[in-house]
Amino acid sequence: MGVAGLVSVVFFYPYLWMVLGAFRSTRDILRHPLALWPEHADFAAFAGIAELSGVALWRVVLNSLGITGVSTALAIAIAASGAYALTRRPRALAFRLLRGGFLLAMMYPYMLLVIPVYIVVYRLGLLGSYAGIVLFLSTGPVQFFLFEQFFRTIPAEVLEAAMIDGATETQILWRVVMPMAAPVVATVGIITFLLNWAQWFPVLVISTTPDTYTLPVALLSLNGELGTDFQAIMALAVVTTIPPAVVFLLAQRRVMGGMTEGAVKG
Amino acid sequence: MGRLRADGIFYLLALPFAALTIVFGLWPIVLSLQVSLTASATALKAAPVYVGLSNYAAVLADPVFTASLVSTLVYTALAVVLNVGLALAYALLLDSPYVSRGRAFFKLAVFLPVVTPDVAGYVVWRWLYDQSFGAINAALKLLGLPLFGGIADPGTAMLAVLLAELWHHAGFYVVIFLANLAVCEKALSEAASIDGAGPLQRLRFVILPQLRPAIAINVIYALIQFLKTFSVVVVMTKGGPADATNFVSYYAYQLFDQAQYGRATAMATILFAIVLAISLAAYRTAERGRA
Repeated sequence: MGVAGLVSVVFFYPYLWMVLGAFRSTRDILRHPLALWPEHADFAAFAGIAELSGVALWRVVLNSLGITGVSTALAIAIAASGAYALTRRPRALAFRLLRGGFLLAMMYPYMLLVIPVYIVVYRLGLLGSYAGIVLFLSTGPVQFFLFEQFFRTIPAEVLEAAMIDGATETQILWRVVMPMAAPVVATVGIITFLLNWAQWFPVLVISTTPDTYTLPVALLSLNGELGTDFQAIMALAVVTTIPPAVVFLLAQRRVMGGMTEGAVKG
Repeated sequence: MGRLRADGIFYLLALPFAALTIVFGLWPIVLSLQVSLTASATALKAAPVYVGLSNYAAVLADPVFTASLVSTLVYTALAVVLNVGLALAYALLLDSPYVSRGRAFFKLAVFLPVVTPDVAGYVVWRWLYDQSFGAINAALKLLGLPLFGGIADPGTAMLAVLLAELWHHAGFYVVIFLANLAVCEKALSEAASIDGAGPLQRLRFVILPQLRPAIAINVIYALIQFLKTFSVVVVMTKGGPADATNFVSYYAYQLFDQAQYGRATAMATILFAIVLAISLAAYRTAERGRA
């Protein structure tokens, strides 16, 4: 009990320290680095990050919300329909090849894949565009595996009964299968939101100007600047961290269950 | 032909998935292999000059690469053992009667960093190590202990990076272990206890064999994870100090940044081969253990 409590405190401390760092002036921090409460709340840092590399903070926040939101919706639709097709016709040669190719691509070291992706996005003429970033973030292993696993558990009788009733394949998918899949859609949606919110490397590689930066990328670039402003960095880290923390705390069972399930399957 | 028409709806449904897999998965891999065979200066031109395997030869003859590969392997070994080992210990503790209350909270506390954007987590850790702002050295000073060099000292940089990554990743392994422990036969452990088996004997002969699936998953996952270590280096050390954390994926990225496309992609292919070989070997070992 004591040990578990201590471990939890150690794991939680960086969050407390980050929030304190955002609200304490540099002078106070240098004087008492270990204080557990701000001497007086200092909001100067948040005014300081209102503009980042010439881009307004609100725009970076909207980029994060927009890119994450749209790519999550697309990822659900693409993974669900893809996994459904592959589960219904598992023996089709084209689908077996597709599944193999997908597994291979997922095993390729991600950050090394992003390098040639730069060339691909360049050739598609999507460099520096939101479309390029969103499309790249719209596919991933966890999403596909969670849907595939679920579709495999649907009893054949359910689909046969619908077919006997004269339903077309499209009707079966939309009226029978997807309503059953609602909990999986929710799980995949929340997990994809968390994963894509945290993405930074593809966003950095595909962006040509800071106009399309998301919060983690803006934070990385602020952290890399010379003459760093510690308090501003912590303030931006707080803004970057809070949305996923809230989403996770509201849906913890779903997130932990879904992420482990997706890993066990993959 | 009728069959194809009947199945047409499925091909249509799979089309977006297939398109993304090809455009953002397979095409880049092929492109990467192709670029690795060309001279860097011409790699992105319409008619690249092919130079055979000379980029691979250059990479393998590069002492910086050899050093980088060695430190990547050392780091991976340490990180896998520490992450999986400590996660196992923590999961066993949470599953034991010693922890009667607050289990959900203790699990939550270690999983929150997993869903925290890695850049944000590593930025905070970078500053925690800082000599003037950081809490770690302030605490050590307060306790009268020797200071920790953190990411500024070539001797401790790898450890500093490892601790930050442990914070970010360990919760994931803990939750996998807990899921496995939840389906373990508690009765077996009790029976062994009645037969006079001590806690260590029960762990060794009753609990660990039942945890084999989770151990296999975690080790394979961790191997792939740490062989590719990248974000933490970009945020905290930039490969330094004195190349102490210049792991292969970061070194390849640096070459790419310097427009050395041929050597960068050759290095990427070599790392891919290593990741594939090591994870296949680990997978085989796990399968054999199961049989």
